[in-house]
Amino acid sequence: MSLHPANEAQRVRLLEAEHWLCTERADLYTQAHRETAGAHPSWRAARAFRHVFRGMSVRIEPDELLVGNRSSKLIAPPLALERGDFSFVFEHLFERLQAFGYRIEPGARAQLFGELMPYWEGQTVRSDKLDVLEAHGLTSALNLSPLAFYRRARSFGFDALAKLVPEGLPLPQLLKAMRAGAGDNVKGRGRCTDTQAHIVLGHRRVLEKGFSGLRDDARARIARGCTGEQREFLDAVELTCEAMRDFSQRFVELAHAQAAVEPDARRREELLQIAGRCARVPWLPPRSFEEAVQSVWFTQNAAIITYGAGSGITPGRLDQLLWPFYEADLASGALTKQHALRLLEELVIKLNNNVIIWPNLGGVELNHLGSDVENITLGGVDEHGEDATNELSYLFADAIENTNLATTASFRVSAKSPHAWVRRVAAMHQKTNSPAFLCDETAIAAMVRDGYSLEDARQYCLVGCVEPSGHGDTAGATGGTKVYFPTALDLVFNRGRTSFFGNQDGPDTGDPTSFTSFDDFLSAFYRQLQVMVDHVTEATNLRDAIWAARFHNPLISCTIDGCVENGQDMTVGGARYNFSAVGGGGLGTAIDSLSAIRVLVFERREVTMSELKDALGTDFRGQEALRRKLGAAPRFGNDDLVVDTLAAQVVARFCAMVSARKTVTGGTYKASLISYGLNVYEGALEPASADGRRAGAPLSNSMSPSNGAEQRGPTAAMNSLARIDQAAIGYGNSLNMRLPLGLLDSDKGVDSVAHLVRGYFRSGGFHVQFNAVDGKTLRAAQNEPEAYGDLIVRVSGYSAYFTRLGRTIQDDLIARTEFATC
Amino acid sequence: MLNSPVFDLQRFSIHDGPGVRTTVFLRGCPLRCAWCQNPEGLECVETRDDWAPAVMREVCADRTYFEVSGGGLTLSGGEPLLEPTRAMTLLSAAKEERLHTCVQTCGAVPASTLLQVLPLVDLFQFDLKHVDEAKHREWTGAGTARIHANARLLVERGANVQFRMPVLPGINDDDEHLGRLATFLASLGVSALRLVPYHRHYLAKYEALNQPARLPALEAPTAPRLAQVIAGLQAHGLEVTVDGAHPG
Repeated sequence: MSLHPANEAQRVRLLEAEHWLCTERADLYTQAHRETAGAHPSWRAARAFRHVFRGMSVRIEPDELLVGNRSSKLIAPPLALERGDFSFVFEHLFERLQAFGYRIEPGARAQLFGELMPYWEGQTVRSDKLDVLEAHGLTSALNLSPLAFYRRARSFGFDALAKLVPEGLPLPQLLKAMRAGAGDNVKGRGRCTDTQAHIVLGHRRVLEKGFSGLRDDARARIARGCTGEQREFLDAVELTCEAMRDFSQRFVELAHAQAAVEPDARRREELLQIAGRCARVPWLPPRSFEEAVQSVWFTQNAAIITYGAGSGITPGRLDQLLWPFYEADLASGALTKQHALRLLEELVIKLNNNVIIWPNLGGVELNHLGSDVENITLGGVDEHGEDATNELSYLFADAIENTNLATTASFRVSAKSPHAWVRRVAAMHQKTNSPAFLCDETAIAAMVRDGYSLEDARQYCLVGCVEPSGHGDTAGATGGTKVYFPTALDLVFNRGRTSFFGNQDGPDTGDPTSFTSFDDFLSAFYRQLQVMVDHVTEATNLRDAIWAARFHNPLISCTIDGCVENGQDMTVGGARYNFSAVGGGGLGTAIDSLSAIRVLVFERREVTMSELKDALGTDFRGQEALRRKLGAAPRFGNDDLVVDTLAAQVVARFCAMVSARKTVTGGTYKASLISYGLNVYEGALEPASADGRRAGAPLSNSMSPSNGAEQRGPTAAMNSLARIDQAAIGYGNSLNMRLPLGLLDSDKGVDSVAHLVRGYFRSGGFHVQFNAVDGKTLRAAQNEPEAYGDLIVRVSGYSAYFTRLGRTIQDDLIARTEFATC
Repeated sequence: MLNSPVFDLQRFSIHDGPGVRTTVFLRGCPLRCAWCQNPEGLECVETRDDWAPAVMREVCADRTYFEVSGGGLTLSGGEPLLEPTRAMTLLSAAKEERLHTCVQTCGAVPASTLLQVLPLVDLFQFDLKHVDEAKHREWTGAGTARIHANARLLVERGANVQFRMPVLPGINDDDEHLGRLATFLASLGVSALRLVPYHRHYLAKYEALNQPARLPALEAPTAPRLAQVIAGLQAHGLEVTVDGAHPG
């Protein structure tokens, strides 16, 4: 199937677009912020949003039917300088961004560095966060003394350290950047980003009531009597809703203006219809499928503008949301399936306009051009537990396939899903690597365990990569806080210090050479892990308190169930459900390491703890034989009961540690085991591990077995993962697999993909996604990126363009276990 | 797999019978085909008695995948029916576990063996490599008489049999042979044939065994050639399917 020509043009434009840094959003937001000093954070936000919506450029591209741009250029992420993460990148890595291809108008550059960044200096979320983390003793300073460098070089080797250094960065600048970047590091090498978000928008409420209805709700809530605090928020909601009308009205005017000078009659008619739609939505509820799609896009786009890029603002169950409109319009003859597909293709293309600039030192190098995942959830059961896969579900599959972009989409599968659905998604791998399969039974069970009603749990959507969250009823912050299981091992070996930072981050769990049993070692591991979790959740709570005190978002909040009723912004706890997250990375690496320690040090006694510790401390210098021996120990992913039981136990303990922690809004934390392609970056600061992994090498990905560990095929790997109680992992996990080469060349092969999915889900799996290109193709794409510009692979929970991933991630993907040709 | 009659066990096999299967490869073979892809499994070795439970444990580990796909256990090799007690052990255990069973056989075994396993086998994948007696002997070391008689026997007993022919360019893909093969199948009342195109992936095994490959120059059939073979067989009234495990 091929794209509608108008969409083909848009797709090409997207792929060929230059990347820009546009300062409109930052400039306008800052102006309003200046003028509202001392006002309530909800009000300040509303005023800022209105100022942005009224002042930023509006554009209508020559062939689009859906309108709503987020910046002055096609590809230019909205820069929310108030967060502080962008400032970090601009201050330290600006030349790198430019080298990567980001352009900036001279005037905008002068304004960014001369006015905007100075204004925000010292008053961003990030700067407050760094201050408060340091005040609470939660940071781990990066010691740059010669002795510290020597120790680090001894553990990591110069090659591994050199990889951390972006090319061409002069040393003083690099050191400055490293010191500044280290401020993100919580004791125990935990991560706590500046942003929250990772939220499913409440499109449902907007489609039902329009922003006029949400404004009326706010007014009605005030009329029922409220506190002063609540009044501030509700007034802000009212202002925000009206600002949305102002914004859409500008597109009405622009469409009319363009129509007036449009020579082509067909396009003129289209523009007039666009004007008609924008006059209606999102202020009023849509009356047609076209209006509904426009409403969704408008709200989605506006939300991203208000929050800034890099926030995982998620559209949710689009097939369910749009279905009533689709069904009605088809029945009345107002819509053809073909036209619906055209609109969905355009919507998918627009959802792919969103890119982020990673605000991490090394992150810019190792995973530049990440996609700001706007995860579309399709299929699955309805609130009654009945199959809700509908014609739109399949149309979206077509649209995703036709557009062949790095769309992040989640395909829900339940025992009630028709085989045609599972097979349809499996067949998508022949054209694109985008789809992820999600298991309703496991996800719903996890949601219910965390306190969702059964009806709300059944409506789950995937946020960010694969985190399940409610459909417009949750302030979830599903990503951004993380710890790494291999770090806990490093802390055991070094009695509470990490090899990279060298500070006393954790407790002294004793001299490991004095341990007499594997249980001793495992207990020490758990103790370090517990303290890591405690530190990182304390840090996240402190960060969240900053958002609650200073930066609200009444636009997103008023769409979320609970916020208007409670008269509270989502950052303060107004949503019906409130959670936060702690991710755990590198499980496979850690389990393989623990297994090697158990078998080689304590059972077979072939290696002493002392030998092992020394080898790990010097990146296996002169110890290649030992390194290979460690790598040959039993590993996770081979359907080995002993190893898998250990993995299940570690995950269960981790989930329990996490869910015992409370957030600042009175919710609980949920655990996730996801990497988002960062396993490469995360390994860069991790020394050699007892599974034979070298210092600085990538950690295992998500909850998948380590690269090369799987020796018994995909069913064995799935059996290993199925031994883990995945319904206890509240914010999900992901299993990434390479399919055997050529599997998709036959119908039988495609059916087999569906069988793997069904079998894994029946066994308790939660998520699986497949990379179905062969190593040769990927290697070729590395060498000739121009010829493979649209080659898509999954990098743990989201789709990315292979040729735009950093080389190290490309290498990691290629190294992902290739099963023998079937 | 030391001292085990099983020299390989492959999970997630999707070209060895219906659904997702686990293929168990048993040692020993009465033939010596020039194109053999599993040379490491041709010789019988001294085996211990307790080999079966571990094998069945690993087979049953994929039960869920068998259930959702209509798959099961496939016996291959070598010739899995060469030592009937071994095959019977695995097949009985499989049936006790209610697994679907498939046996890949060259047919050069006693009729009594086939009759013995028949009640436990859901599908025979029966190879017909060359129908000409002399050519068959030249290429495989044995004649066709017993093989053809066994084929007839299984069909007459109502067994579920899928006949397969490896497509070996220059050896069995000429029009004359295809015609004679079609005639032979018609004489059994069989109207379907599955083609398994030759491939070269296995050559590295000979290197590893320090043995010279016997057909180092033989190439996989090209797509046009394969299409011709299919058309030729179809012209003789056969329903032809092609095994998916061939390179494109």
